[in-house]
Amino acid sequence: MSQGILLFIEQRDGVLNRTSYEAMVAAQGIAAATAEKLSAVVLGKSIGGVASEVATKKLDGVYVVEDDKLAEYTSDGFTEASRQVIQKLDPRFVLLSHTYQVRDFAPRVAARIGATFVTDCVGFRAEGSDVVFTRQIFQGKINTDVRVNGAPPILASFQAGSYRADKAENGDAPAPINPLEVSLSDVQIRSQAEPKFQEAKQAVDLSQAPLIVAVGRGIKSQENIEIVEKLAAAMGAEIAASRPICDNEWLPMDRQIGSSGQTVSPKLYLAVGISGAIQHVVGMKNSQTIVAINKDAEAPIFDIADYGIVGDLFDIVPALTAEITRVKTEG
Amino acid sequence: MNIVVCLKQVPKKDSILRIGSDQKWIDERDISYEMSEADAYALEEALRQKENHGGEVIVISLGPERVRQSIKEALAKGADRAIHLHDPVFDSATDAVAIARSLAAALKDEKCDLIFTGLQSDDYGFAQVGLILAELLGLPSATIVMEVQPENGSVRVKRELESGWFQWVKLPLPALLTIQSGINQLRYATLKGIMAAKKKEIREVKAGDVGLTADDLKPAQSIERAYLPEKTKRTEFIEGKPADAAAKLVEKLRFDARVI
Amino acid sequence: MDVLLVGAGPANLACALQLSRLIASHNERMRQSAGKPLEEVNIAVIEKASEIGAHQLSGAVLDPISLRELIPDFESEGAPLEAPVGEEHVYFLSTNGKIPMPILPPPLRNHGNYVVSINKLVRWLGEKCEDAGINVFPEFPGAEMLYDGNAVIGVRTGDKGIDKTGKPKPNFEPGVDITAKVTVLGEGVRGSLTKQMVQRLKLDQEADPQVYSVGIKELWEVPDDRFAPGSVIHTLGFPLDSHTFGGSWVYGMRDRIIDIGLAVGLDYRDPRIDPHHEFQIFKTHPLIKDLLKGGKLVRYGAKAMPVGGWYTMPQLSADGVMIIGDSAGMLNGERLKGIHIAIKAGMLAASTILDALVKGDFTRNTLAAFDDHFKQSYCGQELQKARNFHQAFDRGRMFGLITAGVSTLTGGRLPSRLPIKAGHEHLRKIDGNGEKDKYEGLKYDDQITFGKLTDVYYSSTHHDEDQPPHLKVLDTNICIDRCTHEYGNPCENFCPANVYEMVEAGAEKRRLQINFSNCVHCKTCDIMDPYQIINWVPPEGGGGPNYRNM
Repeated sequence: MSQGILLFIEQRDGVLNRTSYEAMVAAQGIAAATAEKLSAVVLGKSIGGVASEVATKKLDGVYVVEDDKLAEYTSDGFTEASRQVIQKLDPRFVLLSHTYQVRDFAPRVAARIGATFVTDCVGFRAEGSDVVFTRQIFQGKINTDVRVNGAPPILASFQAGSYRADKAENGDAPAPINPLEVSLSDVQIRSQAEPKFQEAKQAVDLSQAPLIVAVGRGIKSQENIEIVEKLAAAMGAEIAASRPICDNEWLPMDRQIGSSGQTVSPKLYLAVGISGAIQHVVGMKNSQTIVAINKDAEAPIFDIADYGIVGDLFDIVPALTAEITRVKTEG
Repeated sequence: MNIVVCLKQVPKKDSILRIGSDQKWIDERDISYEMSEADAYALEEALRQKENHGGEVIVISLGPERVRQSIKEALAKGADRAIHLHDPVFDSATDAVAIARSLAAALKDEKCDLIFTGLQSDDYGFAQVGLILAELLGLPSATIVMEVQPENGSVRVKRELESGWFQWVKLPLPALLTIQSGINQLRYATLKGIMAAKKKEIREVKAGDVGLTADDLKPAQSIERAYLPEKTKRTEFIEGKPADAAAKLVEKLRFDARVI
Repeated sequence: MDVLLVGAGPANLACALQLSRLIASHNERMRQSAGKPLEEVNIAVIEKASEIGAHQLSGAVLDPISLRELIPDFESEGAPLEAPVGEEHVYFLSTNGKIPMPILPPPLRNHGNYVVSINKLVRWLGEKCEDAGINVFPEFPGAEMLYDGNAVIGVRTGDKGIDKTGKPKPNFEPGVDITAKVTVLGEGVRGSLTKQMVQRLKLDQEADPQVYSVGIKELWEVPDDRFAPGSVIHTLGFPLDSHTFGGSWVYGMRDRIIDIGLAVGLDYRDPRIDPHHEFQIFKTHPLIKDLLKGGKLVRYGAKAMPVGGWYTMPQLSADGVMIIGDSAGMLNGERLKGIHIAIKAGMLAASTILDALVKGDFTRNTLAAFDDHFKQSYCGQELQKARNFHQAFDRGRMFGLITAGVSTLTGGRLPSRLPIKAGHEHLRKIDGNGEKDKYEGLKYDDQITFGKLTDVYYSSTHHDEDQPPHLKVLDTNICIDRCTHEYGNPCENFCPANVYEMVEAGAEKRRLQINFSNCVHCKTCDIMDPYQIINWVPPEGGGGPNYRNM
């Protein structure tokens, strides 16, 4: 009978992907709620370091799957290795973080073993030993509770930012690390990958930015945009804007948030001089933390803000930039 | 080079969505539909490949009568023919496996070099149908594709990885690619194209035609409840002189919200 | 194309459908009598909206008289009707109270009529047309008329893929010239092609200037069956001042939807009047507030309507062209109805087009028969009877109510043709320094009342942002140098979609900002601008509101 929870840890070149810890928070929660044991599994080559790091967390075990064919990520290699791992361990739940890599192979794994895969979840609810997953549809406009009717294992991936990596619990003692054999000699890797490279994106994809500083009409003129750019730079945030700013070409159109621009849900959305028209709010209201700086205490942006400062942005923004810079340099 | 493009029709981007009375889906009354955005880019990419390398573009879509409108749009833009999985039996195909299974059944006899899907749909956003389809048809796959370069018997594609990283990957044909939004500029349907589309084939496929029954399409996951995300938070107003307010805010963001 | 119809509204769709049938029965007759049938006739309808019906907005209570002629068993054919009109009330509203009219004024009696969504009705007609083999092309606006001399020979569609600086984008698709033997303009109110053409061909020489109202409308979903489908309320009075023509409607639709709107005459005097704001204030009246309590706004929209009637209609045909529906002013302002007239006009135009096709003559010689047939039809007669209705209000509400009453009782037979002037000429100037905000203190509670931007969101309006603004302001210096002082930039007020904004541009300077992507295509700016320097042209095809269920 299927039992336990298996968490897939993602690593690249021996470096752990932080979103794996976010998914771990969900996995630990599900383990506690369903009284299932939780193990983690890492796939790759020369990944002992990652395994030891993961083993410090509150887990019942860490499996290490090493093979030459897993040295570089390939869809064929990871799909087949994962299939073997899952079928050997026979867990009830297989949990992953919803990364680009997971999107590239995990659906194939689910299809290969005839399982169902609940992707891009933002939460869960345990009902006895069952788990109901929360996922968003229509780009975050609507939440759904998803119930799985199929047989185990159930695969589920969690959206980046749904949980806080630092909330992953440490174990009292290191979890046992066990190697797990897979047989990939018969696997034909059909794809040939070239070296990875970095490139400036043609279009700004703000949906991937963890921190966003957005500027609105309260900035009054193009010259003033600079003070907000400085704040964004100090924070390491992307700059974004409400429509009037882009209409005036004070910032390019691909920086626009809202119904006619991009929809984002970053960890932090700092709205400067944005009143909060519905057209803007639909594009950012699902941000994890929203801060609003506006001189009008009745601006609708404050209805959805976690933190608000009512006042003159021309005083507050430079002060905030200075404070962030100070904190960053002093640590 | 023959390319199949899987299209999904979804509510228009600027639709005002309301929860339906069964609280399991949106209220579909008074909703206008369009081609899912990433699928529109997949179609455009297929049309460009056809223009450069010849061959045929075949579009396939699953859904009720209204889906014909998106199929016609694809034909008007230059697709050669279409397959419409149109049968009440397909209505229950609401999870990725059931959709992919339906597509696979209809496509197994199509001779094609490439299958394109969008990266994910704008409604459910499973980001799975393409890969499950590849698995069912035994095809190699690449996801989040930004550029497609066919070579002799293979295809070289540029994949988007996280945080500004990319990678070129070569796959043997036939293969399945999931296409990222924004990789090209969408064309407009022309009057000529719309007129020409009237003469193009839209083959209607019933579940029975491809050997599927309602049991084959029973979803393994289903929406128990749909609801609007509610923010119940209270705004914490931070007061004081600019420098003091800034210091307080930064402290909150670091130690309470822990977002910086 | 043989017949090109610009605008997929009730007039043109009725025309296309009727024409396809007339041709079929003509050919059948010819075959039976060994005469010569017509060769294949290509009929095409072009439409600027993203889908058929998306730009249709009306009250609407439909008088089914002409629809029954077009589709005799429309009820069983599945015409989308909300409900037959049931209980009816007309009230004169004061700030907090209401005075019911003891007897319903005859023009407002709706027994036998249906509450409908014109969006649904038009979509249904569009399907009928497509089933009949008519080509219907959404997303293709007419950009300009094509002429041979002064004869109309077709229409050029709008370019697609032009960026905001006017340069072609990589996916640029130039407009195409669609030539046709007959072009039918059924573009709706203040049609942009109709406007150009009527001026060029001087088709309005005999006509008085058209006058308009703008209707602001919202759909509400309420939690219970408090307002039965088919219920009808009309009101006069609050909140409009006595120099402003207008009134409201509240209609019960299916599925607990309440359709509510306010028509404001675009011949008001106070340039500070804001029809959207008036509508918001209207909803705070206890009668309305109670009706909407606990409900949810589901859609918003606005559209102008021609209310001048009989004397303001242009010549309806010229060489190669006909004008029908709201484009020709075919609306009975007294009954607040135009859909039935549009349908009838479309059917009559179809008969004339068939004659023209048979004769092979598409000049005014043949097409002028339409002008006569329309005027002699029951719809023409209806307009003639109401011919002095709006004109009576030209001098204010009290004069209007009395004169209109007399006019109704006498079937329009007032001593003379009452004079009328274009609506914008009624605007009075403000005194130099501006006046205090008429709506000072108006707050939106986001429960019953909403600001313009929020409302625009509920119109589902969308335009590609990277295109030139489709509101052409010929000389923006006038806005700053003259209008600010003379009228206080009323564009900011009369536009119900926050398109026009005077914004600060450095010290002491202001400039006009045009938020064209908010535009709900109501045409109010083109009509009401005091200097007549705003020219509304269609944006890239597909842009605009999406009036589902309106």
